[in-house]
Amino acid sequence: MSTAEQNRRLVWKRVTESPAKPTSPSGRSAGGSISSLRSIRVPDQLLGWIIPVSTLVLWELLARAGVLPPNWLPAPTVIARTIYELAVAGDLWRHVGITLGRVALGFLLGAAAGTILGGLTGYASLARKLLDPLLQSLRSVPSIAWVPLFLLWLGIQESSKIALISLGAFFPVYLNLSVAMRHVDPKLLEVGRLYRLTSFQMVRRLILPAALPEYIVGLRSGLGLAWMFVVAAELLGASSGIGFLMVDGQMTGRAAIILASVILFAVFGKATDWMMNAVGRKLLGHRAR
Amino acid sequence: MIKLIWNYENTMPDSSLFRSGTVDVQIAHKAFAGSQGKLLALTNILLTIDPGEFVCIVGGSGCGKTTLLRIIAGLETDYAGVVALDGTPITGPGLDRGVVFQEHRLFSWLTVHDNVAFGLSRLPPAERALKIRHYINLVGLNDFEYEYPHQLSGGMSQRVAIARALVGSPEVLLLDEPFASLDALTRMRMQQEILRIWEAERTTVVLVTHDIEEAVYLADRVVIMSTQPGTIKKILPVGLPRPRDRADREFVRIRKSVHDEFFDPGTIAPMVPNGSRSVS
Ligand SMILES: Nc1ncnc2c1ncn2[C@@H]1O[C@H](COP(=O)(O)OP(=O)(O)O)[C@@H](O)[C@H]1O
Ligand SMILES: [Mg+2]
Repeated sequence: MSTAEQNRRLVWKRVTESPAKPTSPSGRSAGGSISSLRSIRVPDQLLGWIIPVSTLVLWELLARAGVLPPNWLPAPTVIARTIYELAVAGDLWRHVGITLGRVALGFLLGAAAGTILGGLTGYASLARKLLDPLLQSLRSVPSIAWVPLFLLWLGIQESSKIALISLGAFFPVYLNLSVAMRHVDPKLLEVGRLYRLTSFQMVRRLILPAALPEYIVGLRSGLGLAWMFVVAAELLGASSGIGFLMVDGQMTGRAAIILASVILFAVFGKATDWMMNAVGRKLLGHRAR
Repeated sequence: MIKLIWNYENTMPDSSLFRSGTVDVQIAHKAFAGSQGKLLALTNILLTIDPGEFVCIVGGSGCGKTTLLRIIAGLETDYAGVVALDGTPITGPGLDRGVVFQEHRLFSWLTVHDNVAFGLSRLPPAERALKIRHYINLVGLNDFEYEYPHQLSGGMSQRVAIARALVGSPEVLLLDEPFASLDALTRMRMQQEILRIWEAERTTVVLVTHDIEEAVYLADRVVIMSTQPGTIKKILPVGLPRPRDRADREFVRIRKSVHDEFFDPGTIAPMVPNGSRSVS
């Protein structure tokens, strides 16, 4: 028997002799006796819930036992009740509506500007040479740094907030579209040349569809930044919106309201991202990434 | 089904009266700007391809096969010489030539149907649908019309690429090592397919390959190219009837003579670093 043959037999022996254990859905085989934790049969998604849920329970218990000061960290049920009361009696929906409106308007303006300028610089190298260096250098300014200027120019009212949110949404959309359009596979562009597409057809039938996945990624991160900047804008001075609720909670020393606002931001941010993702998937159809 | 045995020698003279698709290649030289000055890719290419003829170009890598095909396709226009289709000099790409590249180059966001339709210029909808259906059937993909490229195997993708190249009814079909990336069995099946398609469509076909057997199996004439600089070494007619038997004595003899052309001591290029090309 050759050495290779012997090795193979040894391996085979080891494989067949190891106790048959179910493999996890991700394809990982259960490890031997090193860790018994690894062989517990729990779906991965469920595993992710264990720590958050037990933390919540622990938090609730500690808060009820009076270990956590209620004006510092109220119990989860208190926060839930705060949200409920705001929704029923207070003007939660007005604040949520105003914040959503700001995000929507700011995002639409920023994304539209990003689409136009990104499309222009992605397609025409002249536009890129003229605009890209400027936009890239503006990008390196942390967007919040523009706030004083926006306030000076646009006042404390809505416009300065919308401008800030738009600025946040603009850059990812601009960058992703511009880069994706520039990096369309030249081999595909050659196919367009073979069929004698006009410049317009080239953009519409080839460059834009090819750039679409990257563009959608840009829209998603733009939306994420729009949410980040709406928080900033509302914290910096607003008389309405979820951010205002937060400031209000802070002023009046009600931690429950602050935490409720955090949860509202998370829920609505996630919901809009989920919607955007669904739209994106619809647009991408069945094509491979 | 009656197997069509199409003999080039017998049918060529009269059918050529009714068909176009003559490719006339006269390239004095074609150079690329390389890192160390000019790089001569092709010299002295004289070749006339008849309407409906199936020509295979064989040669080692770097001998300029792709460049030659791209010149005929109209993708390369900067060279000394004239290349004409039916007497009209080629100045750029055109719908009278269909091209299949080594990679399928399908559009990932379009279905098989829409990829094939991409090659079709404006037509009345009914005629358009009919043509698309015809070419999808021709390459045997009727059941995959609404699949996306990532759902297809390599051979199927190349079939779509062939259908896309043919759908505009070009006079010449140009293929650059179309089966090189396929496994041996799929490759042999695709070779039969391309013959069947060619017999059905009767277009002029120029197929580039580095596979001698493929060339002898497919071609009416095999154009053998040599490297450094890229030029035509010899043109060998293959007078065998189709379908050809790869084990047939005559087939083997022709394959060997193509083979010998390559390994003729006069043509073995010395291994020199790229850029400093010495001509033997
Ligand atoms: N776009 C290009 N720029 C510079 N050199 C090129 C270009 N295309 C081809 N070449 C060179 O021309 C020669 C012939 O290339 P090619 O036609 O691709 O050969 P083949 O298809 O026979 O392998 C090679 O030396 C290659 O490096
Ligand atoms: Mg090549």
